[in-house]
Amino acid sequence: MQPRLMEREAPDDTCLVDEVLGGSQASFQLLVERYEQRIFNLIRHYTRNPVEIEDLAQETFLKAFRRLASFQRQSSFYTWLYRIAVNTILDSLKRRGRSPVQAVEDLEAVPAAPSAASPSPSATLEREEIARITQEVLEGLPEIFRTVLVLREYEDMAYQDIADLLGISIGTVESRLFRARARFKERLLQKHPEFGNES
Amino acid sequence: MECQNARSLIPSYLDGELTQAQAGPLRQHLLDCQPCRGSAQDGKNLKRWFAASEPVAVPAGFAARVARRALQGDTGEFPPSLAAPRAEEERGRMLRFVLTCTAAAAALLFVLSLGMRQLALPHSDRMLADSSPQLSRAIQELDRLNAAERKQKRAELDAVKTKPKAGPDAPLESGKKP
Repeated sequence: MQPRLMEREAPDDTCLVDEVLGGSQASFQLLVERYEQRIFNLIRHYTRNPVEIEDLAQETFLKAFRRLASFQRQSSFYTWLYRIAVNTILDSLKRRGRSPVQAVEDLEAVPAAPSAASPSPSATLEREEIARITQEVLEGLPEIFRTVLVLREYEDMAYQDIADLLGISIGTVESRLFRARARFKERLLQKHPEFGNES
Repeated sequence: MECQNARSLIPSYLDGELTQAQAGPLRQHLLDCQPCRGSAQDGKNLKRWFAASEPVAVPAGFAARVARRALQGDTGEFPPSLAAPRAEEERGRMLRFVLTCTAAAAALLFVLSLGMRQLALPHSDRMLADSSPQLSRAIQELDRLNAAERKQKRAELDAVKTKPKAGPDAPLESGKKP
């Protein structure tokens, strides 16, 4: 097992970026160690295959390394890395034909589901069971809806950051989130009608 | 605040996206309006489905491996598990490569055959064999032998002419041709 480099006094990301640009492999390893968990957790919302998760994480970090010279430092390193990760995930989904781009406008034009009460996870459900059901429902959503939900609900990103990341307006983020939640609720009740009576 | 206005603000409110100036009146409305309060509760219920789950296990040595590959110039594009479309591209590239190689080999063969043909042809109109002292000596010897043969034949003819004619019974000289 490779020794981890977290033991030394942690320099900030900007210093590490400078060192990596100077050719330091150890500094890049430190950057990867710092963010690998968050990147793996993000990718997990798009695929449950551990090999794919690792491949996409690796692709993200290698892309970041190649583009490091173009990192403008206007945002944090993680925001910049995060953008690469999301684009890498979406690109891979497109490559595999999972994200019909032409459907974006159609999807946004679809009226929201009727306003039924949102099911709430039962108090007896374990956290992992809730996560499993949510993941199952998310996987059935179109990518544009899944992405805004993941960024907002799991990554706790502000609307403005989501808009910047996806290159869309805040208004589009709001409407996409609204429709995504409606679709999530609709699909959850289809797959698990038992939760419909508990709210 | 109108209910319609309140309902449109509830998602942003639950996401923490409203300013204090926007959130204050909405809070007051929610205290007063039970249906809108129900709508807000509905949004909260939905959010509970997105509770954080156990973190994904990062494989041991991942960072070291990635850093090593990065410094080795690995681009990281198209991971193997997503390689199905890439395999098709690879096949297309391979086909183009094979076709290009075949065309190049054919062109090279054509040029080579032209070159060999050119080398096999004479470079002037003179059809001379190579001259050498040995060849000259051999030709001179042949000339000398031919001259000697001609002289001998002439002498034999002269001898036949000067010899008296023999009768029918005269025996032929032994070893002489008729």
